[in-house]
Amino acid sequence: MAFRDVIRSFIVSDLMGGGAGEPPKDSDLLIEEGIIDSFGIMALLGFLEEKFAIHISGDELLPENFASIESISSLVDRKTELRTEA
Amino acid sequence: MDFSFSEEQAVLRETIIRFALKEINPLVEGDHFAREAWAKCGEMQLMGLPFSEEHGGCGVDFLSTALGIYALGYACRDAGLVHAVVTQILCGLQIRQFGTEEQKKKYLPDLCSGRRIFAQAITEAGSGSDALAMRTQARWEGGAFLLNGSKMFISNGPLADVVIVFAVTNPEARTLGGISCLIVEKEFPGFERCRAMEKMGLKSLQNGELVFEDTPVPAENLLGREGQGAIIFNESMEWERSLLPASHLGTLERIFETCARHARERNAFGQPIGKFQSVAHKIAEMKMNLELGKLILFKSASMKEQKKRAPLEASIGKLFISESLKKACLDAVQIHGGYGYMCEYGIERDLRDSIASTIYSGTSEVQKNIIARLIGL
Repeated sequence: MAFRDVIRSFIVSDLMGGGAGEPPKDSDLLIEEGIIDSFGIMALLGFLEEKFAIHISGDELLPENFASIESISSLVDRKTELRTEA
Repeated sequence: MDFSFSEEQAVLRETIIRFALKEINPLVEGDHFAREAWAKCGEMQLMGLPFSEEHGGCGVDFLSTALGIYALGYACRDAGLVHAVVTQILCGLQIRQFGTEEQKKKYLPDLCSGRRIFAQAITEAGSGSDALAMRTQARWEGGAFLLNGSKMFISNGPLADVVIVFAVTNPEARTLGGISCLIVEKEFPGFERCRAMEKMGLKSLQNGELVFEDTPVPAENLLGREGQGAIIFNESMEWERSLLPASHLGTLERIFETCARHARERNAFGQPIGKFQSVAHKIAEMKMNLELGKLILFKSASMKEQKKRAPLEASIGKLFISESLKKACLDAVQIHGGYGYMCEYGIERDLRDSIASTIYSGTSEVQKNIIARLIGL
């Protein structure tokens, strides 16, 4: 499963209460549309770091990095690439 | 999985206990903020425990910092002073993680030494548990953020030289992108620290209102990036919900020991009162909660030390330890009978102090909400 599908699946199951609504699209604005709130960010960060074995540092904890599934996926892409290079 | 302390951690614990008993407790009579005791904590580098030597700290890891605060909570009779010290450390952790090099150089040495008192200002009169529903605003105007609004119940606030203020910088954005952190110094125009408010407990801790009226805050005093405030808040809460419970756990250990000693020494109806199950069960429950509290506290502190997220562990620990402390204090009053109710034995003070622990840093009810959300409910 691609990063973005794994992320979407977590958002639907854990942040949207189990998928009663339509799953968000890659470009949907998660924060602006209220899909992710401040609690949701905490849960999402823990999930991303554990699932992809990455560490998201303070500099990267920016709302724009969590704006959409696309941007979250790009962040994970960058982090996993860095880990591979290291 | 190793549950023992390292030799360095054991020495740190013993040193802090000895220091508190000998140097601090004689200075903390009454309900006022003991400046001299604060200065001694600074000399002892208690506020600088987790910070690098380069910035004036001791450079110990986060778990050892939690152990140090646990020792202080155990030995120091003044829970308000302990809370003030932890507040100072928490402000430093925010600056260390999100601050620029210039901010670290400018603020951390004074924070570690206690020369300047720090506070963080989140809560407002109209937003307590719903902290991010704040109304204090900072708008960019004429080359600075102009800060307007007020903060309520701020720990260390009435004495603060430096305050980390959370404010709305983009009202259009949702809370996640619309809140920023600003470092405000007491000399900034339009900043007023109101008098300390009277409280039920933690009387030596100074809590009060802070007011900002067109207070100009220069761009270099933005902590982190603009719009990063809610994320800084979440990060900060994980540290806070590890360090404040560490002090509560220390107090719980002291109360357990005091009650166990009393139950062995106090006789009624021809035997020590500890032989009565109604007393023994209360003390057994204190011991059980103490041991369980250690496990969750050291787990969350270890996770933070390993740079892992620990919101779930921190919330469980905060909820469990604060509620255990409050229950233990109530039971301690009952076990000591009339002596427990008298001010001179200090047990009623522990009870009054403990009640706040289930309120600040997110009430017990909010912790349950967080736990529910984090397990996907």
